[in-house]
Amino acid sequence: MLEVSQLTSGYGSMQVLWDISLSVKENEIQVVLGANGAGKSTFLKVAIGLLPLWSGDLKMNGTNIAPLAVAERVKHGLGYMSEQGIFPDLSVEENLRLGSLRTKTKSVGDQIDNIYERFPELKERRKSLAGGLSGGQRKLVGIGRALISEPKILLMDEPSSGLSPRYVNEVIERLAELRGGITLVIAEQNISFLSIADTVSVIEGGKTRFTGSVSDFNNNDTLKEAFFGIE
Amino acid sequence: MLFEYAVIGGILLGIFYALLAVGLNVVYGAQKIINLAHGDIIMLGGYGAWELYNTYHISPILSTIIVIPITVLFGYLLNRLIAPRLVKASDPEMLSLILFFGLSEVIQALASLVFGSAERSLPVSSIPTSRLVLFGQGYPATWWVSALVIIPLLAIFVIFLYRTSIGLQVRAVISDSVEAAVAGINSKRVSGIYFGIGFALAACAGVWGVFIFGGVSPTEGAAITITAFAIIVFGSLGNTLGTIAAGIIFGIFYQLAQVYIPSWSNLVPYALVIATMLIRPQGLFGRRQRIA
Repeated sequence: MLEVSQLTSGYGSMQVLWDISLSVKENEIQVVLGANGAGKSTFLKVAIGLLPLWSGDLKMNGTNIAPLAVAERVKHGLGYMSEQGIFPDLSVEENLRLGSLRTKTKSVGDQIDNIYERFPELKERRKSLAGGLSGGQRKLVGIGRALISEPKILLMDEPSSGLSPRYVNEVIERLAELRGGITLVIAEQNISFLSIADTVSVIEGGKTRFTGSVSDFNNNDTLKEAFFGIE
Repeated sequence: MLFEYAVIGGILLGIFYALLAVGLNVVYGAQKIINLAHGDIIMLGGYGAWELYNTYHISPILSTIIVIPITVLFGYLLNRLIAPRLVKASDPEMLSLILFFGLSEVIQALASLVFGSAERSLPVSSIPTSRLVLFGQGYPATWWVSALVIIPLLAIFVIFLYRTSIGLQVRAVISDSVEAAVAGINSKRVSGIYFGIGFALAACAGVWGVFIFGGVSPTEGAAITITAFAIIVFGSLGNTLGTIAAGIIFGIFYQLAQVYIPSWSNLVPYALVIATMLIRPQGLFGRRQRIA
């Protein structure tokens, strides 16, 4: 569903990504692991179109999406949830409403109700400013908005960032509930997310060092020790 | 009696000051820059009203509507011209200050060439002339007529911002332009339109500034920009409703100063900025975001 091959990119003239290659299948959850500064977030930004692709291939369902602007990629079915994931100055409901901008479905109200059903705590705070919510609730708003936009693939940039372990587990549980209905690419440095992953890619120094199943990753002690200090 | 006069008069004038400042706030929201030429756009609005009245006998009330599409288009095109350069600049804030300072100088020079350096004014007879009498005190027609025109204008603007889909997109871009882009919003187009609306609101204020300030001249821009800046800092940068409320509060303060300490009244904008910075730097209606 998403094919990335020998992708390079960077900020200005500074190269950050040297060779990113990975493949994500439909309805799969892939966790892109890497330490701080490895290039995970940069890769997601290139994929959604916030940063230019210097070279390499970026295909979605066989279509080359590299020349498309951000809005066109969104229209094409690519969703993105940034680390912040919300508009802090807008209410919870307004945040969710923005998710429906590019969808063809008319019943925005029904879609928002579905999100409230899934995340009841958001319904109670529907009129509150998203910036005033707890870190965990903010992530739920971001996930909710992303789901309303009905993406075929949702790219998530560090959904655990800024969260206490309790909230991290809650976010993981909520993401697990989405399994089978959406393709997720989650950039993370928190290995707890492997519990919901089908496949793993490891990025280090702007290059893909490993891509494969979770069990292959778990069986590769050298890789785990080299990149994450896990014995 | 004097106190009531100052407060009611302050509210009427404050509605004008709200419009005067809200355009600057809008441009700040659209591009995160302070438009140093804001007062000059207001000045152009004043000359527009003067020209329309003297050449075509068009009432300033109608001029308020006529200047809107012209200045929206001007602001939109200007935004499309400068925004890409600002995005690419290593120091966009400094570049924008230099750019708008230059624009201010150019507008001033052109206004002097076209209209001359003498102050131009509009006869009060160009609008309804009866005084408003409240609690035994009379208020000039220019105060209440301007308030009567500006209130629906601000109401339409607020409805646009808070009750329409494009208004929601505008607020999303203001809140986080990158997040807006990935939500599928065409941030450049939305920013451009909003920037143009900021110019239009400034020009509308200019039409009524001819009455409130007693005339229009090419050099008035800088002082107006400072007043508008003081109001938006007071009401919280980027906060539209805060700016409107701050404009009204400013009007009351200014009028109280005019009544009780007239020789000090021109210090009100500066005192307001200093007091805001010392007591509540985030502005009267600003808030701090919850961390974690």
